[in-house]
Amino acid sequence: MEVSFSNEARMLRRGHGETFHGEGILAITKALLQSGVAYVGGYQGAPVSHLLDVLVQSKDYLDELGVHVEACSNEASAAAMLGASIHYPLRGAVTWKSIVGTNVAADALSNLASPGVTGGALIVVGEDYGEGASVIQERTYAFALKSSLLLLDPRPDLARMVRIVEEAFLLSEASNMPAMLQLRIRACHVRGSFACSDNVAPPMSAKHLLDDPAAFDYARLAHPPVTFRHEKLKSSERLPAARRHIVDNGLNETFGGTRADLGIVVQGGLYNSLVRALQQFGLADEFGTGAVPILCLNVVYPLAPDQIRDFCAGKNAVLVVEEGQPEFIEQEILATLRRQSVATAIAGKDVLPMAGEYTVEALARGLAAFLDRHAPDLPLHAGRAWLAATDARRDAVAEELGAPLPPRPPNFCIGCPERPVFAALKLAQQDVGRVHVAADIGCHSFASFEPFSIGHSILGYGMSLASRAGVSPMMRRRTLAVMGDGGFWHNGLLTGVSSALFNRDDAVLLIFKNGYTSATGTQEILSTPTDAVKEASTQKQESLVHTNQTIERTLQGIGVRWIRVVDSYDVNEMRRTLDDAFTADFAGLKVIIAEGECQLERQRRVKPWRTGLLKRGKRVVRVKYGVDEDTCSGDHSCIRLSGCPTLSVKASPDPLKVDPVATVLDGCVGCGLCGENAHAASLCPSFYRAEVVQNPGWHERLLASVRRAVTQSRPAT
Amino acid sequence: MTSATQPITVLISALGGQGGGVLAEWLVDVAREAGYAAQSTSIPGVAQRTGATTYYVEVHPVPVAALGGRAPVLSLLPVPGGIDLFVASELMEAARSVQTGMASAERTFVVASTSRTLTTTEKMAQGDGRFASDRLQDVLRRHSRRLAAFDMEGAARDAGTVVSAVMFGAIAGSGVLPFARDAYEAAIRASGLGVDASLAGFALGWAAVQAEDRPPAAAATEPPAVAPSSPATAAFPAAARDIVDIGYARQIDYQDVAYADLYLRRLDRILAAERAVDPAASHGHALTRETARFLALWMAFDDIVRVADLKCRASRYVRVRREVAATDGDVVRIVDYFKPGAAEFAALLPAALARRVVAWDRRRQLCGKGPFALALHVRADGMFGHATLRTLASLRWLRRRGSRYAAEQAAIERWLAAIEAAARDDWTCAHELALCGRLIKGYGATNDRGKDNLAHIVDHLAAGGAFAGAVERAAAIRDAREAALADEGGVALDRMLAQHQVPPRAVRPQPIVWTKRRPAPSAPSGRG
Repeated sequence: MEVSFSNEARMLRRGHGETFHGEGILAITKALLQSGVAYVGGYQGAPVSHLLDVLVQSKDYLDELGVHVEACSNEASAAAMLGASIHYPLRGAVTWKSIVGTNVAADALSNLASPGVTGGALIVVGEDYGEGASVIQERTYAFALKSSLLLLDPRPDLARMVRIVEEAFLLSEASNMPAMLQLRIRACHVRGSFACSDNVAPPMSAKHLLDDPAAFDYARLAHPPVTFRHEKLKSSERLPAARRHIVDNGLNETFGGTRADLGIVVQGGLYNSLVRALQQFGLADEFGTGAVPILCLNVVYPLAPDQIRDFCAGKNAVLVVEEGQPEFIEQEILATLRRQSVATAIAGKDVLPMAGEYTVEALARGLAAFLDRHAPDLPLHAGRAWLAATDARRDAVAEELGAPLPPRPPNFCIGCPERPVFAALKLAQQDVGRVHVAADIGCHSFASFEPFSIGHSILGYGMSLASRAGVSPMMRRRTLAVMGDGGFWHNGLLTGVSSALFNRDDAVLLIFKNGYTSATGTQEILSTPTDAVKEASTQKQESLVHTNQTIERTLQGIGVRWIRVVDSYDVNEMRRTLDDAFTADFAGLKVIIAEGECQLERQRRVKPWRTGLLKRGKRVVRVKYGVDEDTCSGDHSCIRLSGCPTLSVKASPDPLKVDPVATVLDGCVGCGLCGENAHAASLCPSFYRAEVVQNPGWHERLLASVRRAVTQSRPAT
Repeated sequence: MTSATQPITVLISALGGQGGGVLAEWLVDVAREAGYAAQSTSIPGVAQRTGATTYYVEVHPVPVAALGGRAPVLSLLPVPGGIDLFVASELMEAARSVQTGMASAERTFVVASTSRTLTTTEKMAQGDGRFASDRLQDVLRRHSRRLAAFDMEGAARDAGTVVSAVMFGAIAGSGVLPFARDAYEAAIRASGLGVDASLAGFALGWAAVQAEDRPPAAAATEPPAVAPSSPATAAFPAAARDIVDIGYARQIDYQDVAYADLYLRRLDRILAAERAVDPAASHGHALTRETARFLALWMAFDDIVRVADLKCRASRYVRVRREVAATDGDVVRIVDYFKPGAAEFAALLPAALARRVVAWDRRRQLCGKGPFALALHVRADGMFGHATLRTLASLRWLRRRGSRYAAEQAAIERWLAAIEAAARDDWTCAHELALCGRLIKGYGATNDRGKDNLAHIVDHLAAGGAFAGAVERAAAIRDAREAALADEGGVALDRMLAQHQVPPRAVRPQPIVWTKRRPAPSAPSGRG
C-alpha cells in the first residue's frame, strides 16, 4: 500500500520514561510488543486494520526484536496461527474485524480452545457495532461463551487498555484459555497518551529459534477421546483458574459511591459513557465518583461469581449495563445471585434498549427508569429536562426541514474502476433483461446504493458465487455473482469457484481485479502489482494490475474454461462481454475479470510524481472531463449511470432553463467514464475530454497557437 | 447532587478525504502542549473518500497541573445539546447533525460551510432534486447560540489547501477553546506537511469566523445573459418581455428571423388567450411568460446542426479553458464525444427518406444487432475537427427541409392548441399545461419519452378524462407532470394515470435477447 505509517512506527519504539501519543489501536499494538509477543497475525478490517498495517511496515524493528508478523489470507488462517501457542511457551496475537472475522475463524478457534494454550494467546477483535459499523450487528460474546475463551472489554483509557493487554497474556497463561480483547470503533480511534514501558524481545522468537519440536502429546490434539477431557477441564480447572486470577489481580475495577443501596455493573468499554450519563443527572463528578457504586468489568467473560455476589449483596438494586443482545451478562448475574440466594433486584434490558449502541442518551433514559423505580428520592429533574429538551429540539428540526434529508451513504471513489462495470451491467440488462445479482463484501457493495441499486443478497466475504448456487437452478435466466479480488483470495476461490466447477454449475462470476483489499485500506494481496513494476512504470496514473496474472492462472489451473479479461473502464466492451456471458452456449462457469487498479492507490502514486515533474518544469498532461452547459438539457441521465462525486449539477446559466445542468467538479481524475458512458448509452453530446498540457514543448505551443488562431477566428453569433 | 466541571466539547462533521483525522490530531496536540487533558475520537467510515464522517473532541477546562494527579473521565460519544462548538464542512451534513439534536441554541457555537456537496439522490433527479439551502441555513440559525456560515470549500481552494485547515482556523477563531492563535499555528508547523498552504487556509477560517454571522454566499453561477429588448417584442407585457426577448434572440441564433417571427406569432396567440381569460392580468401574465420560456427551448431543439454550432464557437473554447483551470502557458486539447444514430441523420432528411432510414435501423435491431450509431471522438480544437463542426453548423438550411423539423412543429402546435383550448375556460389548466413544456428535454430516447408523455397529457388530461371541474383537471395535469419527472421508467406516471382512469401510455418496444438457460447437465457422483 502507498500509505505510510512511519510516524506510528516511531511511536512503537518508545520505551520506559517516554510517553506514547496516538490512537487506541496503536496503543494496543505497542502493548503487544511490551508483552513480548513472538508472533502476530491477522486479517485487515475496520476498525483494527492499522494494527497489522503498522506492524507490517515496521518489519525492520520487529526483526530486531525477533517478532514474526504475518498478513494472513483470512481470519481462519489467523486463528489457526495461534496453534503455535498450544505446545510452545510462545506469546502470540492475532487481530480481525468482528463479528464477521470471528465467524470465519470459528472452526480454528474451537479447536484451539479445546486443548488450550501454553503460551499466552490473544485475539484483538474490532467490535464493529453501532454507529459507523459495516457488518451485521451481533456480539462476539457468544463465541467466548461457547468455546470458553476469555473476553476482555477494557475501559477506554489508553493506560488501562495497555495494562489489560499485558494482563490478558498472564491470564491466558494462568488459565490455558485463549483470550479475546474487544475494542469498539471509537475505542480504536480514541486519541490519547500513556507512559510507555520497554518493549520485550521474546525469549523464543524468529531470532532465537526452537531447537526441537515438542514431544508427542495426544492431550494437545483436538481429537477424540481427549476432546471429552478438554470439555471437563474447561469447567473444572481453566475457568476457575481464570476467575481466581481476575480477582487476585484486580482486573475488574470498583468505583465507590455514596449510595450503598445501589450499584451498577458495566462493561469496561461503556464506562466513560455511563459516567457522562450519570453526570447528566448530577450523580457523578468529572472524575467519575459520585452517588452510585460501579463495578467496571474489564473482563466480561468469565465473571467471578464471588466478586459479583460481594458487589451486589446488601444492595436494594443493581443495574447491569450491557450492550447488544442477548443479555448474556445479565442472565449470568441473575443466575449467580439466585444460586447464592442474594435478593438484590437486578435491572438491565428491562430499562435499557435490547438492541443498538448504548449512547449517553440511551444510557441516561435507562438510568432514569432504573432510579425512578429504586431510588425515587434522587433529584433527577435536571436530566429529565435535558432529555425532554432533546426530544423537543429533534421534532422542531424535523418540522423546520419539512422533508427528510437525503442520505449520504459511502460511494465509489472518484475514478474508481468498479463504477464503470456497474454502468455496463445496468446497460447490459437493457439487452438481456433483469439479472439476479449475488453481491459480496467490498467496495463493490456500494453498487447497492443509488444510482445503481444493484444486488440481491450479501452472504459474506467471498461468498457471492456460492450464494447463488441455489438460485441458478431455479431460474430461467443466468445469474451473476460479483466479487472483488480481496473476496476471491479470502474465500471465493474455494467456497465459490471450486464448488461451482465441481457441480458443473451454469454460472457467471465477475471478479473486480483492482489489486488490493481496498475497502479495508488497500492492503496487498496475491494479485497486487509488484513494487518493481510500480517503480518501472513511466506513467504513474496507469493501471498496473494487468502485470499480475495470478488470478487468471489460478482459474485456468483449477479448470475454468471460459475466462474473459476486460478493461473495467471500457463500458462498451464490458457490456458486450456481459451480454455474451448471459447468452453464450457454454453452460459451465463463466468468469469475467474486470481489470482496473484501485484509484486510491494510483492517485497516491500520481500526486507526488506530478508535483515533482512540475517542480522541475517538466511536461505534464492533466486530463479533466467537462460538460457543455449550453448543450446539456438537465435530464441527468448521465448521473444516473455514474454517481461519480465529481459529476454534479449546477444552476443553468440559461435563464430559460429551470432545471440544473450537469457539471464536472474539480477533483475529476479523468478516468474516462463520462465519455465511455456518453457513447455506450448514447447519452448526449455534452461531454468533452480536456487534456491540459502543462510546460508544453515549443513545437506543441506553436501548433496550439496556430490552431487557436483558426478555431477562434469565428465571430460569435 | 454532585456537580461536575463540564468538558469543552467540539463536534466536527466532515466528508471522507477532507482531512478530518489530521484536524482532530492537531486539536489534541494543541491541548496537550498547552497542558490540558484532551481526547478525540472518530467514526471515520470506510476507506472511501465519500460519505459523512464525524470527529469528537473533549478538552477538560482545568489544566492537568491543577488536577492533583486525578484524571477526568472524558466521553467518547458526543451528547445531544452538550456541544460547545460544532464545525461542519458541508451545509447538509451540518443540518443532519443538528437534526440528531447535537447543537442547541443555549450552548452551541455553530460554524458551517455554505458550500454544498450534493448527494447522489439530489443529483440524479430528472428535474431539480436539490434540497433548499436556505432551509438548511435557517435550521442552523435557529439551533445555534451563534452561527458563522461561510464558504469553507472556496476558502480552501483560495488557500490551495484542504478544508480541514480552514476548519482548524475557524475553531481557533471561535475562541471556544482556551488556546492562543500561535498555539494552533505551532501544531500546523509541527505536522510539517504543506505548512504554508495550511497556514493560509487557517488564516481564512480564523478571519471568517471572527466576522459576524453572514448571509449565504450566492451559488456560483454566471449572471444570466439578458438579451437586448427588440422592437419586435414590444407588444408583450413587461412581466413576460424579458423571457420573450431571450426566446426571440434564441430563435434568430438558432435559425433565422423568419423562425423568430414564427415564435412571436405563436406567443401572440397565447397572449391573446390569456388576456381573454384573465383580462385583469391577476396572474401577472405567467401563462404567456412560461409558454414563452418552454416554447423557446422547444423550437430551438438540439439537432446535429445546433450541437455542432454550439461546439465550435470561440466563446466555447474560452469557457473550456476556464473550466479546466488552464493557465495561459498551458496547451488544452479538446475531444468531443458524439454518437449520432440513424434517427439523428434521418432528422435532416425529407420525411419519405427518413422513414426508410428509420425502418432499416429497426430491422437491424430486430435481428439482434444494436441500433446503428457512429461513435465519434472529434478533436474540436484541431483543424479537421473544427472544420467538420463548422461544416455541420452551416447546414441550417437543411434543417427546415428535414423530417424532424416537421414533426417538432406539429407537436408544438398540438401543445399550443391545447393551451389555447384550456385557456378558454380556465387559466390554471392552461398554465399547468404550459409548464408541461418542461418535459421536453434531452436527446434521442430521453427526448422521445418526454414528447410521448406530453402528448399523453395533452390527449387525455387536457381534454377528455372524467374530472369534477377545472380545479381537479389542473391538479391532475400538475401531478402528471411531476410524476413524469419522478422516474425514468414512467412508473409513477402510469400509477398516477391509473388513478384518474386515464388510458395507460403506449408501451415502447424494447428488443431483448432472451436466452433460456438449459437445464443443468447430470449432477456429478457424490463425494466419497
